[in-house]
Amino acid sequence: MPDQSHVGRSYKALGQVVDQQHVAAFAAAIAGDDTPFAAGTVPPTFAAVYCVFPTMGQLFADAEVGLDMAHLVHGEQHFEWPHLVCVGDVVDANCTIVSVEQKRSLTYVGIDVEAVRSADGATVCRGYSLMVIRGGG
Amino acid sequence: MIAMDLLTVKVGDEMPLLERRVTQSQIDAYANASGDHNPIHVDPDFARSVGLPGTIAHGLLEMAILAEAVARWAGGYARVQGLACRFSKPLQPGDTLLCTGRVVDVDAMNQLIHLKLEAISGRGDRVLTNGRASVRLSVDNPGQPGL
Repeated sequence: MPDQSHVGRSYKALGQVVDQQHVAAFAAAIAGDDTPFAAGTVPPTFAAVYCVFPTMGQLFADAEVGLDMAHLVHGEQHFEWPHLVCVGDVVDANCTIVSVEQKRSLTYVGIDVEAVRSADGATVCRGYSLMVIRGGG
Repeated sequence: MIAMDLLTVKVGDEMPLLERRVTQSQIDAYANASGDHNPIHVDPDFARSVGLPGTIAHGLLEMAILAEAVARWAGGYARVQGLACRFSKPLQPGDTLLCTGRVVDVDAMNQLIHLKLEAISGRGDRVLTNGRASVRLSVDNPGQPGL
């Protein structure tokens, strides 16, 4: 069960490769054959793949924090993409727990995420995720 | 594709509606492509066992469709500089997501257009609320083919 003592805990996923095939599979999962965008164009929310899940997946598996995945829902998401990410880029991603709040039977966990291109240090994604655990975990 | 002429965009302009029916097979494809295999998205029995009406779409899949709606209007994924929303109601397989948006600011100084967005389901639930996007007026270094 997450609590205040977990604020500041962070998780790194270095060397995430923005892979052509993976981008294509992701783009197809969103828009199917209906996409008007050229092959190789990276959908912005592909950040889920190179930034959110590789880092937050470690948080989800962190037994010391003990997030109840069966009762976890995504409450809110903010993304910014200051620099464009391209197929072939390698990025280093991290996430940090920035808040834990209990309100009634809900627990809110705020998490900052960021991904930086290894080659030039450009920030390709920064964001904030609010996760909600129903039933107090 | 025909891109919106971003230089003529005015406050109050509406983004065209994007309507997309989300099926379980699309949710399964998104689970595979994103790596998020939480059983609440892919296993109906498990989803019901934790108090949900059945499987629900990933919030980030809904947000990906919202991003697509913005990108279609703006002329490409590379134009999308920022996107935010609240996941207010779950979307179940078979439901339709209807994404709408309106220009609320044209920031010439920073070369950004700001939109307010929302997405409702075919059954009238407000699925994505507090939606906001920033769109680049120009892409100096597209970095991606096929704007």
